[in-house]
Amino acid sequence: MKNLRAWFEERLGLDAVTGFLEKKEVPCHKYTILYYTGSSILFFLGIQIVTGVLLAFYYQPTLAEANASVARIATEMPLGWLIRSVHSWSATFMIALVFVHLLGVALTKAYRKPREATWITGALLLAASLASGFTGYLLPWDELSLAATKVGTNLPKSIPIVGAWLTGIMRAGDDVTGDTLSRFFIFHVSVLPLALVAILGVHLFLVQRHGMSVPLEEERKGGKGPVLPFWPNFAYREAGVWLILLGLLVTIAVFFAPGLGPRADLMAPAPEGIKPEWYFLFMFQTLKLFPGRILGLNGEMVAVLVMIAGMGLVAFLPFLDDRPAERKGKIITGLVWAGLAYAVAMSIWSLL
Amino acid sequence: MKLPYSLFSRRAFLNSLIGGWVAALGAAFISPLVKYILPPTPEPDQVSLPLAGLKDLAAGSVQGFAWGNKPGLLKKAEDGSFIAFVGVCTHLDCNVTYITEQKRFYCACHKGWYDENGINVAGPPPSPLRRLDVSVEGDALIVRKQA
Repeated sequence: MKNLRAWFEERLGLDAVTGFLEKKEVPCHKYTILYYTGSSILFFLGIQIVTGVLLAFYYQPTLAEANASVARIATEMPLGWLIRSVHSWSATFMIALVFVHLLGVALTKAYRKPREATWITGALLLAASLASGFTGYLLPWDELSLAATKVGTNLPKSIPIVGAWLTGIMRAGDDVTGDTLSRFFIFHVSVLPLALVAILGVHLFLVQRHGMSVPLEEERKGGKGPVLPFWPNFAYREAGVWLILLGLLVTIAVFFAPGLGPRADLMAPAPEGIKPEWYFLFMFQTLKLFPGRILGLNGEMVAVLVMIAGMGLVAFLPFLDDRPAERKGKIITGLVWAGLAYAVAMSIWSLL
Repeated sequence: MKLPYSLFSRRAFLNSLIGGWVAALGAAFISPLVKYILPPTPEPDQVSLPLAGLKDLAAGSVQGFAWGNKPGLLKKAEDGSFIAFVGVCTHLDCNVTYITEQKRFYCACHKGWYDENGINVAGPPPSPLRRLDVSVEGDALIVRKQA
């Protein structure tokens, strides 16, 4: 046993990693609970990868077969309905936790120097997660998913100069067709996961490199506060949180399995009540509120540009909030709360 | 009998308790996944072939049909009776073909040969082609698994 360990150590040199993890410490304070959000996102990502691979065993990304193969997974394959339901619900859990993680980091200002790059990789991970949700939504190829994809891929069109070109790239031409489905499939199962895992590697490396961030008020107290060893104390606590989340996920997935609409018909009129996934609702509602023309400009173009500006502000928040401890920092915290209130209010409004 | 020292420490006991519990939990999650990965692909109990479609089949020749996901081969004997095979080589699962002129079944993968009754006669096949039962019921030919 000892020889085997030495054999691997000589070749892999993993003692550096285990040594690091043995020494790693997690600060204990009022907001320690926020540290669990990151690992919980990882947990759901793992579930997404496993259930996604399982779904891909039987899913067929073609115009003729996509809808029928999802129906086959849900009705014929042993426990296929549950695997599909877990994949769908785990996506919701993961994105919800991504938002909580983002808000937690923003409100405790964990992005402040020297962690700006960690925040930016986080913003990229957010984009990749949302893109995964968007591309995955089309794959069952039912009426709703087709209509939502048509609307979603139409939005970039209103960006000046590059817009039409972007829409063409997303759709594989002017219209949503079978080629769009192939494209969304390969992005959903290959391009986006690879990008996600690569950026995640950098993100996790940076988190370890800088250590766990401590909220401003704790930092101001000075000195080293109480800490918990990462291994095994914190890791076991995380395992407990994962277990609770897993129980919650499977329970919800069993009782609320997603449905499947009739096969999408490219020539049919759009169905009533189309809605994107819940995490896009606030953008959906914002778009509905913008009038057709604003000061002689196309209203949709203004709305899309405002949204892009908003995304830019989020992505570069650490650079805007360069004096977190001062008045400017407080104003920015207020704006983060306002942004949250806006998103929640818009989402609820869109459901009414 | 009281031992002067413990056979294993409290830590080892608790660790194996946790390890066993995690292993049981893992097994509970993995077993349904294995079921999903290995879906049942049952063979059909029977396949019905309308006799009208077999009118033109000459004596001594073979017509294919679908036996579930496998090719079935229906052969009309010289006396007009039918025999049926699962047209899959017993060597390594390739589909076989009937060569009418030679009155033999042939598997191209490893040059396996079966005679007109499906008996392996040359090459690597270890056993005869699998036979299926054939019976005429009304205006259809019913092919069943051999009892």
